[in-house]
Amino acid sequence: MKNLTSKSGSGINRRTFLGYAAGVSAMSALPVRYSHAAGELNILVWCDHADALLLKPFEEAHGVKVNVKSYEGTGTALSIIEQSSPGDWDVLVVDAPDTRVFAEQGILEPLDDANFPIGDLFEPLTSAAFNSIGGVRYAVPEKFGYYGVAYNKDKVDAADMRTAEVMWNEQYKGRVAVYDYYFPAMQLIAISMGIAPDNISMDHLPAIREKLLAMKPNVKLVGDIVSVQNALVNGDVDIVLNGAEFTVSNLMPSMPALDWTIFDEGGLMWIQGISVFKDSNRKELASHFLNHILSPQGQGTLATSECYWAMPANSLAVLSDDQRKILRWDEQAAFFERSVPSTISQPDIDAAMLDIWTEFLQS
Amino acid sequence: MRLLRNLPSYVYLVLALSFIYLPVVVLVLFSFQDGVLPVFPFTGPSLQWYEKMLANERLVESLMNSVVVAILSSIVTTFLGFLAAYGMARRKPRFAGGIRFVLMAPLTVSYLIIAMGMLITLNLIGIPKSLFAVGLGHVVINLPLCFAIIYSQFGDHLRNIDWAARDLGASDAQTLLRVIAPIMKPSLLASFCLSATLSWDEFIIAFLLSRFDVTLPVIIFEMLRAGLTPEVNAAGTMVFAISMLTIGVSAIFVFIAFRGKK
Amino acid sequence: MSDLKGRNKKLKYFEFTRWATQPALIFTLIFFVTPLAIMVVISFWQRVYGKLVASWSGANYIKFFGTDYLLESLTNSIEVTLATTAISILLAYPLAYILAYRISPKWQKVILIFAVLPFWTAYVVRSYSWLLVISENGIINFVLTHLGIIDQPLQMAYTRGATILGFVHFFTMLLTLTIYANLVQIKPSYWKAAEDLGASKLQVFLRITLPLSIPGVAVGAFITFVIAIGDYITPQILGGSTEVLVPQAIMLQVSRAANFPMASVMSITLMLVIVVVYAITAKHLKMNRV
Repeated sequence: MKNLTSKSGSGINRRTFLGYAAGVSAMSALPVRYSHAAGELNILVWCDHADALLLKPFEEAHGVKVNVKSYEGTGTALSIIEQSSPGDWDVLVVDAPDTRVFAEQGILEPLDDANFPIGDLFEPLTSAAFNSIGGVRYAVPEKFGYYGVAYNKDKVDAADMRTAEVMWNEQYKGRVAVYDYYFPAMQLIAISMGIAPDNISMDHLPAIREKLLAMKPNVKLVGDIVSVQNALVNGDVDIVLNGAEFTVSNLMPSMPALDWTIFDEGGLMWIQGISVFKDSNRKELASHFLNHILSPQGQGTLATSECYWAMPANSLAVLSDDQRKILRWDEQAAFFERSVPSTISQPDIDAAMLDIWTEFLQS
Repeated sequence: MRLLRNLPSYVYLVLALSFIYLPVVVLVLFSFQDGVLPVFPFTGPSLQWYEKMLANERLVESLMNSVVVAILSSIVTTFLGFLAAYGMARRKPRFAGGIRFVLMAPLTVSYLIIAMGMLITLNLIGIPKSLFAVGLGHVVINLPLCFAIIYSQFGDHLRNIDWAARDLGASDAQTLLRVIAPIMKPSLLASFCLSATLSWDEFIIAFLLSRFDVTLPVIIFEMLRAGLTPEVNAAGTMVFAISMLTIGVSAIFVFIAFRGKK
Repeated sequence: MSDLKGRNKKLKYFEFTRWATQPALIFTLIFFVTPLAIMVVISFWQRVYGKLVASWSGANYIKFFGTDYLLESLTNSIEVTLATTAISILLAYPLAYILAYRISPKWQKVILIFAVLPFWTAYVVRSYSWLLVISENGIINFVLTHLGIIDQPLQMAYTRGATILGFVHFFTMLLTLTIYANLVQIKPSYWKAAEDLGASKLQVFLRITLPLSIPGVAVGAFITFVIAIGDYITPQILGGSTEVLVPQAIMLQVSRAANFPMASVMSITLMLVIVVVYAITAKHLKMNRV
């Protein structure tokens, strides 16, 4: 019998296996991009900053690659940052009311006004509270708009839309969608009750809650931008509360029946700001990026991004006449007069509002 | 006569298939829409959205990422599942029931919860969010299936074949690779194909565990959140076409493997 | 001499097979069990003013079960999922039956694959496509109004029914697969034996086919339940947030407030529900080779 036992010592034992396993894992971990490299910029932003049209000029001018991560809710951004290491992110875009949360946690780099075209920005933006937190600037306004109502003017009476009372107008029962953002929704209700958004306190909340719940029977859908747009376009709803230019402007060319306005009682202005991360290793490049976004060219592109349209912060933005018409450029002065910026939220009121909103969705 | 007797069945079959294909037809139809809005009425056909989609660098990149993640994670899954099934089948370890319970447990937990749990854990271990993490997540969800499929195919006769191979002097590696694996080819292939297709289409784990490099479902989701255009329909149709192709090819493979089994 | 060598070989052999299950086991322990354990731990912490505090209190649990509208999300989820599972079974069983017994074997696999293909259109996009079908300007309303069957378009979108529709569409395909796999395994000799003993066609179905197909139904139903109850996309897109299901509540907590403790509480509750359902269906899940 031939001796076939010569290989009997080569059983697979655990050590060899673990060795192979470690080797394979090490190899497969390599493709993880080392995005701390000098030629890159990591931005944590809203979806309107993802357009190639906006990023390519910057990438080519500076010979870098811009890595985009877009997020929706502020909580998402907070948890993304929490799970990252220092130096992972360079630029942040955040809703004005939430700037303070980020600033207080030491996430943002103080900015010097001299480095940015602050003087060219519309006045109401730069005087909003979030521009100076403890005397320091942490974010530069880059884009703004309103919370009011968007609607299909072929299906509804435009005059009805001008008052906040439309939120409870029985005529439009089941024809209403609400853009899913609790904070401004409740501030709008406060405005309809004559309470200035700045002054909302815990005492006001029960009354606001009542009015919010009273609105629910009219509401067919609460959703994000695309959902409410879908509903408007498909004819399932005719009105979007909490919406405005950002809801319909990019659709208006193909569906001229769409329109928007802010309430006579007062409008709510939303402002998004752009900031630099304190732990960034590329602050100078980040600064250049901010200036690119704030430049007239960049502002024009940002204002008409694929994701949503809104007013650019820079009054020198490059826009065509048609685009200005859709954004209601000429009416802005009038809007400024009766609008207030959406304010900075207090943590406890914010949490209470989120609870009320969950109840509203459930009812 | 047969046709008449089976008529109600055929009618039900047609109705059921119509129901199943209704949204797919709409999806494909509007990917050729001429206008900006993927809604009625249909104006077209136009290939502009396919052009736009293919010019979208991020999308093409994510397509490649999806393929790589699917294939690599499935290889790992099939390998681990094969080893585990082999170990279980050859000799019942102590706590066999317990081991089986742990291995099958991920099937009972929603992907969202697995994704969230991994998010927190990976942060602790220090593995950054990346396609690698997504791959790990996909192994977690597919391992129970692979294990179950391969284990169910381990018949008793394999024990004898195993013994015979070792009696003839084969080492462990040789037994596994050159004797057992070829016999188990159908179930190995089936596991691999199943893992790959599930990974390819998986969304929530890919969404939560990736950073800049994303997979196709995540890109599509991002596109949907960014705006309402038929480009999304084009992307969806493409996913469908590729999946059909993959399933077709896999079916052929499995068919050949099964035929060889005789 | 050779005997000793033989015994050594056997020992090494046992060594290998003993630890062959370990790689998979260790992997699952690290990447599945540990995350879950961590989630349980975190569910007893709290997020206070943007910071995670290890407060070790059951406050989140009390809040979840004590608040009406939060608890409602749980009951809503269970209702929707049960309805989805039931309807999917009702639709899938006949389809699987027809495929297994009324179509010639040559065509069975082909039609089965064809019937299951839409499984692999991108999940999110498929949900949006359903909106196109059921919305007021959509296909169904279009056809019905043109046929004169209705005057006013039906308002089907953004309702619980729409969510269930989206789910049922997906899970009917899944259940067809599992039930079909089960049905084709049943030996025809059983029917012949029953018929020989005088059973009618109906009795054959009720007393033989149906009971033997239960494992296939059970497996499909269980998987349906698990996936449906944890799904975020379908209720979000089709249901229109007119009511809140648990996954949506979880995402609200995570994306707005980064409140992982509360999200963990909800996730764990969901898991417990699934464990209960598993306990109920477990004995039906074993597919014995008959």
